[in-house]
Amino acid sequence: MAAHEILAATNAVVTLDAALPGIVWPWLVTINMWAKSIGTGVIFMLFLLIRTHPDQVKGLRFPTTVVALIFIHIFLLFTLADLHQPFRMWHIFFYPHLSSAITIGAWMATIFVGLLFLLAFVSFIKKDDALFDKILTWVVILAIPVTLYTAALMSQCTARELWQMPTESAQMVFAALLAGSAFMILLGGNKLNYEAKKTLGVVLGLSALMSFTLYMSEYIFGPMKAEEVAFILEYIKGDGPYTVMFWLGQWITYLLPMLLIVLSRASKSENLLKLAALLALVGLWLVKHVWLTIPQLLPMS
Amino acid sequence: MQLGFLVDLHLCMGCKGCEIACKVENEVPLSTWRLRVKYVDVGTFPETKRTFTPLRCNHCENAPCVRICPVSALHYLENGIVNIDKERCIGCAGCVMACPYGAIYIDPQTQTADKCTYCAHRVASSMMPSCVVACPVQANIFGDLDDPTSNISKYIQKNQSNVQVRKPEKGTNPHHFYVNGGNVSLNPLASKRVEGFSLFNNITTLPVGGSH
Repeated sequence: MAAHEILAATNAVVTLDAALPGIVWPWLVTINMWAKSIGTGVIFMLFLLIRTHPDQVKGLRFPTTVVALIFIHIFLLFTLADLHQPFRMWHIFFYPHLSSAITIGAWMATIFVGLLFLLAFVSFIKKDDALFDKILTWVVILAIPVTLYTAALMSQCTARELWQMPTESAQMVFAALLAGSAFMILLGGNKLNYEAKKTLGVVLGLSALMSFTLYMSEYIFGPMKAEEVAFILEYIKGDGPYTVMFWLGQWITYLLPMLLIVLSRASKSENLLKLAALLALVGLWLVKHVWLTIPQLLPMS
Repeated sequence: MQLGFLVDLHLCMGCKGCEIACKVENEVPLSTWRLRVKYVDVGTFPETKRTFTPLRCNHCENAPCVRICPVSALHYLENGIVNIDKERCIGCAGCVMACPYGAIYIDPQTQTADKCTYCAHRVASSMMPSCVVACPVQANIFGDLDDPTSNISKYIQKNQSNVQVRKPEKGTNPHHFYVNGGNVSLNPLASKRVEGFSLFNNITTLPVGGSH
């Protein structure tokens, strides 16, 4: 912890206090955010591929919908698991408080799941691609606020100064684009040609670059705007407890995939692209976990 | 009516009588506190002094916990108290994350959020909160902020140049005031927490709600 100007002057030390609460939102919430990024991200990427490479997505509509359904259910399952009273989840629907991002998010996610099931029905039972694409447009529109609501929730945590709505919104969108493109590169297999995968690689590389830029902006300029942010960022600087995990996350999620994508374009190697995708997916969990945890280490009182 | 609290830190002697009275009155489980008194030692020997700061829910006018609660378990009473309905709470801990004062905890017995309610059940019966009754030096002053003749209003008027709230920059408009408070007593970032100095020694944090 950096020496505070006042600490040096007063040598103030807490000598008797109650034990403070530990981490309030643990790794379960990290998985929640990670799974949601994949669940909404693959839908964004399917929409992109239908518009840019329509001939390539013939066999991808149903598998992508299934992947989205699986990961949105992982997101919902871990949301439920994190509740201390999970059997009261229904209160959100029967006693809703509309100023809460949790309420709005729960409702939107529920509608999103319903629409995904509809997409699965249209693609697997009715086999109607035209209708699927029409519905998909609305699913994509809904996927945007479903992605963003966690940023709103984090910004409502006024105690955690690090999380601000504008930055977190951008981070959520970039995380969805990164996770979605990475998963589609892996899911595409032989169904997608190299050109389609190259398009996904561009999305992956650019979202990694933008996300990394935002993190570095916070890292460098964050301490200048608020005392609490300065204290929080000390946990990922120097010999801070989360320094290693933070930089490991930045390298695995952003820097190495960016490098691998450049190399794959130069050598036209699909394997390098797949490796970049795999690293981005694994690293995203680390990055999210560090950013979720560090503001919770700060004593509030 | 807007009920508020004021603590005169010049009078508080850190006896923790309020803390114990609160524990007993509200049956607050082990490892959790609705009200606690924090000791901060200031200076270098032999020029040292000890500050005592009772910390409880600030019953903010613009409460982040009320805003984030998805099921309105946290809600305002007409008298300004921020109350909690434990039967409705789903234990999402959003309020714990939103409170800038660290005043909300997850009750390990009920697995729901809980906090100081200014003893709303006693207030409803025209009694003072238990911590006010227990204080031997009347450092805790409780009353109606809307009534200029109430003790709290008079106290604020009398000490207006020396009345503070915690973290005013958060825009929460707390209904909890301190007289004779300083940066060390009111700003948690202005003091160090060194393991081994506390009565609790190495226990500086505890699991939230006794689980995950």
